[in-house]
This record gives sequence, structure tokens and C-alpha cells, in this order.
Amino acid sequence: MLYLNLFLQGLAQGSIYALIAVGLTLVYGLLRILHVAHAGLFALGAYISVTVTNATGSFPLAVLAAVAITGLAGMAIYRLLYEPILDRPPFVALIASIGLFIAMEEAFRLAFGPYGLSYAVPPNMETITFGGLFLSRAQILLMVVAALLLGGLGLLTERTRTGVAWRATVTDPPMAQSFGIDIVRVRYLSFFIGSALAAVAGVMISLINNLVEPTMGSVPSYKALAIIVLGGLGSVKGTLVAALALGVIEAFGTIYLGNLLDRDAIAFAFLILVLMLRPHGLFGAR
Amino acid sequence: MLRLENLTCGYGQMRAVHGLDLEVPAGGVTALVGANGAGKTSTIMAVAGHVAIRSGRVLVDGQDLTRRPATARVGAGVAIVPEGRRLFPDLTVEENLIVGGYALPAARTPPNRERAFALFPRLAERRRQRAGSLSGGEQQMLAIGRALMTEPRFLMIDELSLGLMPKMVDLCYEALASLKTTGLTVLLVEQNTARVLAVADRICVLESGRAVWRGTAAEARADPRLIESYLGEREAPALP
Ligand SMILES: Nc1ncnc2c1ncn2[C@@H]1O[C@H](COP(=O)(O)OP(=O)(O)OP(=O)(O)O)[C@@H](O)[C@H]1O
Ligand SMILES: [Mg+2]
Repeated sequence: MLYLNLFLQGLAQGSIYALIAVGLTLVYGLLRILHVAHAGLFALGAYISVTVTNATGSFPLAVLAAVAITGLAGMAIYRLLYEPILDRPPFVALIASIGLFIAMEEAFRLAFGPYGLSYAVPPNMETITFGGLFLSRAQILLMVVAALLLGGLGLLTERTRTGVAWRATVTDPPMAQSFGIDIVRVRYLSFFIGSALAAVAGVMISLINNLVEPTMGSVPSYKALAIIVLGGLGSVKGTLVAALALGVIEAFGTIYLGNLLDRDAIAFAFLILVLMLRPHGLFGAR
Repeated sequence: MLRLENLTCGYGQMRAVHGLDLEVPAGGVTALVGANGAGKTSTIMAVAGHVAIRSGRVLVDGQDLTRRPATARVGAGVAIVPEGRRLFPDLTVEENLIVGGYALPAARTPPNRERAFALFPRLAERRRQRAGSLSGGEQQMLAIGRALMTEPRFLMIDELSLGLMPKMVDLCYEALASLKTTGLTVLLVEQNTARVLAVADRICVLESGRAVWRGTAAEARADPRLIESYLGEREAPALP
């Protein structure tokens, strides 16, 4: 029962990683850019959720605002930051992205203060126990939401014309254009979807911790990068599996290796181990 | 159908085609031939919107496409079977065809797909297979099928037979002959002289980015010097 419980806790954490990392993969697949500032959008979503809930008293409204505003912010980052430097070497965009990420953290600090925010009325997220399992309501909600959203995204990319066009654009943008696919629209759509999913992750974390802080994106930013490398860079399926696997491994690792390595060190030990055995990620062919 | 007026195009500072004038009349096959590096692919990719045009004009049915983006060409009835085929390797055969029909209403996809399968029954057998796992000949068939999904009026094919087994070359040329009877206009790049002389109605010979000979296939056959100097290096022409 302990194992099952750890496994579920790991899946919950992995769901957060998955919601964040999918956006990174979408961007990497299309533009070959490591979109570090993506983790800033995760924090933005969390901040919007808390401030709008506290201001209006309506959590659903706050979620809507977080998803919509963060999605649009992602599109704006593409248009204003990446599009002008697309023909430069990839490290230019990486540096720009890191710069934006730091600027976003400072902006949160300036706008909302350095100590973080909490919901005025703490959400009812007590732990539920059944049959020896214990999970918080927030964790259950998170897993359900992540499964619905990521499953929906999977159906979209695998089963619809738009999804097929998206995958074609990832492999060969000029050829996709020759068949009438507007690749700029594909990019905007990807930034919107990826950023909105990061906002959902931010909302979920804000519920679980009842705390949002300026630096809450730091750890997810590098962990999500590790995940997309594990997932084979640019593969949505690979990213999802890698995210969940990492969550589970961290959960078990903190129990068995906890006095040796902390959670984040375990994650990176796992990354190094996998890359030594499979240099192109868990599923990478090339 | 296609008219190139004084077309100059290239990569960065480099010019691959210099002031090319080319007229491809509607119906029939026009072949573009020439040695490696002559500029055949560059010409086709310029018409497709993938190589920067420095000067001159590209007209399709009188419509000026010179400055239009690559995405706009398919709407003008232009389709391409590019050099190296450039399928979407991780997509299945069927999904490649879906992308081919993306510019048209979704309802056009099933009938067009069935037509592509009728032309190349091997594709129908492999419809759920990844395009990247097909043999070279099957990939070429899929590249043609994908282009036909756009319901083109003008089809550009770059290196139809290159690297294919003889049996596959036959199948591809049978398909081309049958497409020709439907009134489709084709611009064909082909290194195999015998095939060119057999299928083409008109021939244009490129050398270093310039047209050095233009005429009908009959005129080409009657000109042994031309065949020797521009067309003959690879294979003796099979005269009818
Ligand atoms: N991507 C590129 N960047 C720079 N130069 C290029 C590029 N592609 C082609 N070239 C150059 O442009 C010229 C024309 O090449 P092109 O591919 O059009 O010739 P081709 O007639 O199709 O030759 P082949 O028979 O080998 O396919 C060549 O000198 C080639 O080196
Ligand atoms: Mg070529």
C-alpha cells in the first residue's frame, strides 16, 4: 500500500511536470528553441489565479483568466521575443529566453512583493484517506485535470487534421507550407496551448501549496528542460512518459535515498543515468 | 500554364539560376534537364516559393506568384514532388495524404485518397505504415500521391526515377503517362535520357543556370549532337 501511495504521489508530481514540459516540447519541436521563460508563464498563471480569486472571490473566473492571459502572454513572447531572432543561432534565443525569465521573476517581486501570496480563503484541500491511501483533494484534482487535458491534446495531435498538420510542420516546415499549412499560425497555436497548460500547472501548484512566490518557476524551469531531453526533444509522447516517470522516481527516491540526495538531485542523477545509457532520450531515434 | 520571365534566384549571395525564360504550355510534359548543379532543383524550388527570387517573374496561368508566400502556391494549382521526396517520415501513408489535401475542404480528402490508391495500389496496402519505413519506390509513389491530393493543375516533379529499382521506375512512369492523359501539366526533372525522350513533349536544357537549348522531344531526338553533349552521358536513348 505504501508503494501504491508513493506511486500515486509520484504521478501527481509527474502531472505537474507534464503540464509544464509539454509546452516546452511544442516550442522546441517547431522552433528548436529552449524556451526557458516558459517556467515564468507557469508562475504567471499561479499569480493570476491567486490575485483574481482574492479580488473577485471566484476561483473559476480566476482559472479562466489565468489560462487565457497566460496563453496570450505565450503568443506575445513568440511574436516579440523569438520571431525577430529566428534566423540567428539557437543560443541567441536561449540567452534571450533566460533573460526574459529572470526579468519575469523580478517583475513578480516588484508587483506582488518578495514573500509570496496565498488565497485569502484557503481552498479546501484536505487529505482524503481511503483504503490506506492518502492523497490531498488538490492532488486528485490535478491528476484528473492533467489526464483530461493531456489526453485531449494527444487526441488532437493524433486524430485530427490540425494535429496531423502540426506534426507535419514539426518535421518539415517548408514542405508543410507547400501544402497550404500556415506555419506561423501553427506556432501561435502551439504557444497558446503550451502556455495555457503551464498556467494550469501553476494554478494546481497554488492550490496544493496555497503559496505562490516569485521564484516558484526556477526549479520547474530546469527540471522541465531535463524532461524534454529525456523524452527525446520534440516528442510529445516521450515528454509525457518522461515527466510521469520522473515524478514517480523522485517519489520513491526521496524515501529510499532521501538522506543521501534531495529530490532535485535524484532527478538529475536519473537524467544523467538515462543519458549515459540512451543519449537521445528514452524514446529518441535520432 | 507556367511562365518564367528572366528568373534569377539563388542562396544568399550565390546565384543558381541566371535570367531564365521558360514557357510551359498547358497539357503535356515539359522536361527540364541538365548536368548536376545546373539549377534544375533551384528553378523548381523558386516556383514553389522556397528559393529566394532576386529578379524576374513567376507566372502561373497569368497570375503573378513571384512575391507570394509558399503557402499561396497550392491555391494557384501548383503542386510539387520535391527532390529527395521529403515525405513526413513519422506520419503514416494516410496521414501524408491528409497533409496533401490540407488546403482543400476535408470532404475532398476521402475521394482524392481513393484516387491516389487506385493509381498506386501498393499505397493502399500500406496505408497505416510510417512513410519513413517505405521502400524508395513506394516513397516516390506516396510523394506523387500527396501532390495529387492538392488537385493540382500544374505538377512539378524533381528526379522521378533517381535511386529507384527498374520495376519501380516503370510503375512511376506508367502513373505519369496516365496522369498525362488527364490533361495535367507536368514539369519534369529527370536524369534518365531514355525516359525523358519517351515521355516529354518539350525539353529545356539548362547549363550553369541558363537555358542552352529548347525544343520538342522530336527535335531533340533528331539532334544527335544535343543528345551527346547534354543528354547522352547517362544512358543511350531508346529511340522509338
Ligand atoms: N541550399 C543551397 N545553398 C547553397 N547553394 C546551393 C544550395 N542548393 C543548391 N546550391 C547550388 O546551386 C546550384 C544549382 O543547384 P541545383 O540543386 O539547383 O542543381 P540541380 O540541377 O538540381 O542539380 P542535381 O542534378 O545535382 O540535382 C549548384 O551550384 C548548387 O551547388
Ligand atoms: Mg536537383
